[in-house]
Amino acid sequence: MGALATGWRPGSVLCCVGLGSCIGLALVDQDAGVAGVAHIVMPAGDGDPPAHFAHTAVPVLAGRTVAAGARREDLVAILVGGAQMFTFGSGQQIGARNEQAVREALVQAHIPVVAADTGGQSGRTFRVRIDDRVTASVRTTGQAEKQLSLDQLVKQTGTTSDSGASAVPNRRQTTSEMVN
Amino acid sequence: MTPDHATYSPLQLDALRELANVGAGNATISLERLIGKPIGLDLPQVELLALDEAIERAGPPEAERYGIVVPAHGDFEALVLLLIDPRGAAVLYGAFGLARDSDESYSMLAELGNILASAYLGSLGRFSGMDLAPSPPQLVVDMLAAILATVLLGDGVDSDRVLFCDSQLSVEGERCNVEMLLIPEAGAVGTLIEHLGV
Repeated sequence: MGALATGWRPGSVLCCVGLGSCIGLALVDQDAGVAGVAHIVMPAGDGDPPAHFAHTAVPVLAGRTVAAGARREDLVAILVGGAQMFTFGSGQQIGARNEQAVREALVQAHIPVVAADTGGQSGRTFRVRIDDRVTASVRTTGQAEKQLSLDQLVKQTGTTSDSGASAVPNRRQTTSEMVN
Repeated sequence: MTPDHATYSPLQLDALRELANVGAGNATISLERLIGKPIGLDLPQVELLALDEAIERAGPPEAERYGIVVPAHGDFEALVLLLIDPRGAAVLYGAFGLARDSDESYSMLAELGNILASAYLGSLGRFSGMDLAPSPPQLVVDMLAAILATVLLGDGVDSDRVLFCDSQLSVEGERCNVEMLLIPEAGAVGTLIEHLGV
């Protein structure tokens, strides 16, 4: 929790085990075969450790994933978690608040979301595997492990890279997003 | 970081441990009456831990647990969380002659959690002179880390450390452990210590 890891060696698996209201965020550069994963616990806070909080986790994870060999403009994001497991109390919306904060930070960082498995009431385990391709899977409590469709990742647009001027990246749209 | 999660003196931690011991002792008596078997109680662990340490301490993160949460309101805002593994839950179902994972067995577990948490909170209130009222219990069956992280985080107050206040009840002669955690909300530990006068 509040940890992050990057990988590029074929055979590497990055995972977030037992996500409840937390968000597992993966940043992937499919062409470079590099991925980084952070286990984000809260929307905002003092930034220590950075991966604990959405607003600091996104830029720090992007930097670390680029340092591991990814191209900054080729990064795409996968979000898993943010469940609301309990209904008591006023503050149990933290799962949704976490997701919203991560999405806002991704927009600011110009990183498109290509897949998400978020919300609901159950815990999840998120795995990102690096092999010939980068693949992602989710195991939700009481369900079999399922692969997330990352179709957008293999689509090459062939356009020039982002100038950084547009507020929302449009090179890759979030068409394969799954939200339960 | 909330000021109240800063540090506690050894004396204050001892007082909290004693409080947990009295509360869990009372819960043990309730459980004995309910299922008609002797119940063992380990000395409670009370420590200030980082969130991930607390979760690590509790067991394998992906392990399936029945989690029963009982929120308490009044002079002191807290949750009691009971964690039972599937084998332990099966023993409890058996004690009541209920089928595994049926609606009846789920409601029995929630009610059991309610009774144990009320016993725990009742002694806590008497011991500290505070008024505490339990709310209806909520049962989830999920991964240990998902349950515990969500409950410990509460309303998302950024605290570097959490008070890990853990009592283990076990049904003697059976592989059935019930773990009881007292999870004070932000600021509540300070109130509690004030009432205890340590």
